[in-house]
Amino acid sequence: MADALTRSMRASHVLTAVLVVAALIFAAIGAAIDDTFYLRLGTEALIFGGLALSVDILLGYTGLLSLGQALYFGLGAYLSALVLMMTPSFWAAMGATLMAAIVVGAIGGFIANRVRGVYFALITFGMAQIVAKVVYNTRALGASDGLIGVPVINVNFGIASISTASPVGFFLFTLAFIVVLYALAAYLLDTPFGRLLIALKANERRVPFLGYSTVTPRLTAYIIAAVIAALSGALYPMLRGFVSPELLFFSTSGNAVITVVIGGVGTLVGALYGGILLTVLKSVVGSYTEQHLIVIGLLFIGAVIFLPRGLMGIARPTVERWLGGKVVP
Amino acid sequence: MLGRAWGSMMTAALEYFQFVLAPQMLVGLVLGVAVILVALGLTIIFGLLDVINMSHGEFYALGAFIALALASIGLPFWLLLLLVPLMMLPVGYIVERGLIQRVFHSGERHVTTLLLTFGLGLVMEDAFRLAFGPNPHKPATPIAGAIDVFGVFLPLYRLFLIAGGAVIVALVALVVYRTRLGAMVRAAAFDRHMAASLGVPVQHVYAGAFAFGVALAGLAGVLLAPIYSVFPTMGRDFILMAFAVVIVGGMGSIAGVIVAGLLLTQVQAISSLYISPVWSDPIVFGIMVIMLMVRPQGLFGRLGHG
Repeated sequence: MADALTRSMRASHVLTAVLVVAALIFAAIGAAIDDTFYLRLGTEALIFGGLALSVDILLGYTGLLSLGQALYFGLGAYLSALVLMMTPSFWAAMGATLMAAIVVGAIGGFIANRVRGVYFALITFGMAQIVAKVVYNTRALGASDGLIGVPVINVNFGIASISTASPVGFFLFTLAFIVVLYALAAYLLDTPFGRLLIALKANERRVPFLGYSTVTPRLTAYIIAAVIAALSGALYPMLRGFVSPELLFFSTSGNAVITVVIGGVGTLVGALYGGILLTVLKSVVGSYTEQHLIVIGLLFIGAVIFLPRGLMGIARPTVERWLGGKVVP
Repeated sequence: MLGRAWGSMMTAALEYFQFVLAPQMLVGLVLGVAVILVALGLTIIFGLLDVINMSHGEFYALGAFIALALASIGLPFWLLLLLVPLMMLPVGYIVERGLIQRVFHSGERHVTTLLLTFGLGLVMEDAFRLAFGPNPHKPATPIAGAIDVFGVFLPLYRLFLIAGGAVIVALVALVVYRTRLGAMVRAAAFDRHMAASLGVPVQHVYAGAFAFGVALAGLAGVLLAPIYSVFPTMGRDFILMAFAVVIVGGMGSIAGVIVAGLLLTQVQAISSLYISPVWSDPIVFGIMVIMLMVRPQGLFGRLGHG
């Protein structure tokens, strides 16, 4: 018999499956009408959904608000662009990003985890700001222009390969990639390690009394979030062919937080739905007026006040009821 | 012989100070006073309400835009210095009662209020763009002319800003530390339940303090508009520095804001003599991160706790 937390995680899985089916239909229609623009936009939505996923691991499970997740997203994007410009290998880019994210995440986590609560938010913000400014000032990294001319590559699986230039192919690949990241995060958060994180969020002082360290799980969660953000970021130059310092700016981190809050904090799948919703909003509202930030800002304020659990706060309990059993309040 | 060499070295040092260091320090001082004015409201709001006001930069911009609009219908600058903060008071009061109080009592107050004010800032910034357009406006300088200070060409208005800023900071400190009202505010910050049971109208003190902090930001907007121009994202650039000042000084500490404000802007000004000024931001944020690591409460304690 699964407990309440496992049941809500299963509800998230169901909602993810719904998202995947919808995305497949979207891809099929896109392929049928030979669309490029919307498929590319959808791919970007998924990539930023991956960034939001990393914010949710910290905010929703560990109770830490990161205002600097763009640091790792940008790290992945820049590193992937640099590697691809030297050797056009997907696996080399991903391997390098993974290694760098673990190292930088460990350093960043060591610094940020010395403090709690609001100071954690500010220190992550400060770190991202420093890195953003350094990249912005470094000529070798393209300074304010960023890196342009990232080549189109083929993602090789041995038996088959997908070109990043193919809109539908790369969309499907990104979908699979992000779903794998989701599954990885969901698996880890449903293990005893994940329960420990939830316990930390609920009451940090009591956790040591149960015989657990509070330092290691917190640092581990931070590194996992860094890796997920960086791997999502590594897809960005493959999609767009360039990276710019804007990817490291506060607006990127801030957007990820907005995405998670609107989608639903602590649900994981909310980050993906939020990413899609925000991208749709930006392009739909953006086609009428340049002032789409007003709409997104108001929606965000509304979510913070009236829907603290976001859209998934409405959708997930319903799914849990279908799955049977009582709903976690 | 030795005396002569010593003398010429002293002269060189003096000249270096007069022509290189002092001008840069004066420029830093103007920025320092400007940052202190913005950071003062930020630190008061945090010290009392425990709220990180992410929209503070936009309130600073709001003050500047109101001044811009009122100046265009012919109101004199000196009247605006009084009028704009007064107009900001009800705005701040309503925002506190209408928005912040709605999430103030949730379990994760820090996070929810931070997110709420972040959203508010986004909306305000875009509203400015809608109302005034994205391009910068430069109001006329209220005091023309310049004087020579240490052989430095210093516009009179900047001199006025330094003096006026010092007066404002002194007045705020006087109100907070030497009046009955200030005592009520500090009492509410120290222990809200105890203050409430002693008859302090805590709800009004909270809303009032938020309004006061926001009005200070608006006043800074009016004062700084002639120097830094008025544009929708003006708050965003400025608030980062103000945040660094508030953190280094100690969130909620008025003395901390003054010391850290002067210190950080001097570091910025003097370091830009030796390395490219584009690196001053990473240096300031580096100091902020190191401070958060080794002493998260900052140089000074917080309001009501010192």
